[in-house]
Amino acid sequence: MADPQDRKLKDAQMRATINQKLVETGERERLKELLRTRLIECGWRDQLKAHCKEVVKEKGLEHITVDDLVQEITPKGRALVPDDVKKELLQRIRTFLAEQSNI
Amino acid sequence: MDNKTPHCQQNGDTGLQGMLTDVMNELIDEVTLGLCFDIHRASKIGTLFLGDTDPKSQREYEIVEKLGVDVFGQVATKKQFECVCPNCQRNLAASRFAPHLEKCMGMGRNSSRIASRRQARIAKESETSSRVATTGKGDSDDHDSPDDDNDVDWSYNVDKKVKKLKKEKILTHSPRRNKHNKFRNGNHLAGDNSSDRSGTPEPTIPSYELMTVEERKQLLLQTCGVISEHTKKMCTRSHRCPQHTDEQRRQVRVFLLGHANVEDDVHIDIDSLDDVDNQSLRESLQWEVNSSASSPTDSTSTNNSTSGAKKRPPSKSNSSKNSNSKKKKGSKHTTSSVTNSHGGSGNSISSSSMYDFE
Repeated sequence: MADPQDRKLKDAQMRATINQKLVETGERERLKELLRTRLIECGWRDQLKAHCKEVVKEKGLEHITVDDLVQEITPKGRALVPDDVKKELLQRIRTFLAEQSNI
Repeated sequence: MDNKTPHCQQNGDTGLQGMLTDVMNELIDEVTLGLCFDIHRASKIGTLFLGDTDPKSQREYEIVEKLGVDVFGQVATKKQFECVCPNCQRNLAASRFAPHLEKCMGMGRNSSRIASRRQARIAKESETSSRVATTGKGDSDDHDSPDDDNDVDWSYNVDKKVKKLKKEKILTHSPRRNKHNKFRNGNHLAGDNSSDRSGTPEPTIPSYELMTVEERKQLLLQTCGVISEHTKKMCTRSHRCPQHTDEQRRQVRVFLLGHANVEDDVHIDIDSLDDVDNQSLRESLQWEVNSSASSPTDSTSTNNSTSGAKKRPPSKSNSSKNSNSKKKKGSKHTTSSVTNSHGGSGNSISSSSMYDFE
């Protein structure tokens, strides 16, 4: 069946289109800024920073690399984001897409 | 197709949902990446752990998140704030601070008089205590003067008389007197009263032999005037000077003015003192006032007497008018009674006449 492949292709196209739209209009930067402030406000950044310090202490100040940090931190970072912030972000993206499709 | 479209729609919805979540996760990852870069940079520069303190103090100052307690973990109670008065170093509740300052330092309306008066008294007391500490003497003199102040303020009456009194007071409060006292203290260790008298310097007063009768009279109205046996000079202190007795003062007046003059001292003073003499005396006194105005004690005494005059009750003013009118007639009885009320009852006749020029 070519159906799942076809859908995959469609999905990829759509994702590319959405990303392109987001970047082109500058909405992506705006969303990122909003997310950053929200995360700082809710203490996510501080929590994650404390976790980073532990990681750095474990690995040693000299031997730590950015890759190590990213590997350790990214899953934790995703998990620690509060649901409210996630919801708000999703809502923003959705409304943006709705506006774009209307035009 | 009809069947497929809603399914497809649903699939598209979930697909869209998934896509949106992916976009969101990308955003989150990007922010996290930014944080990772920051942390890495900080750790390489060495600023990552700069903000940390030792774990003990960190635990000590941890923010407490409990109900009914503030961030320091203290139960919220009404705190009584306290202030320390800069003047008297007393601890006071903050709510009482302003009224206290008003009283203590005179920093409010209507209270500067009380404050300056208190300061003057404190200064006087400290002076007295130091003096008493060195010698057992001088007690009576120093106890006299605050009492007299009170008399001037509250019981004695106004008009020219008070002005004269005030000037008289300033004379006695002038720094010169303090010098005398110190001098006296030094001498007191050596001998008795007579030797004390010899030590008294006479800086301003010329030899009494050269003076006319009028001048002598003027001088004796202002000062004690007892002539020392050793230096042959006159005492320059006030009529209440404790070294000399009333008897000694009377003798000096007999000696200088002649017997007859002294007998009816009061009459002569009232009648014979003309305006010219008064004027010159007033001018000299005025000069004294100006010269000594800088000293806090003196300025206080002037304040006191004027305010005392203002606060005088009506009945008092009546009596003062009475006494004034009587005095104009030259009644000896009135003048003596006035002097008594002033509190200088023990003083000589000349002291009573001192206040009755007008």
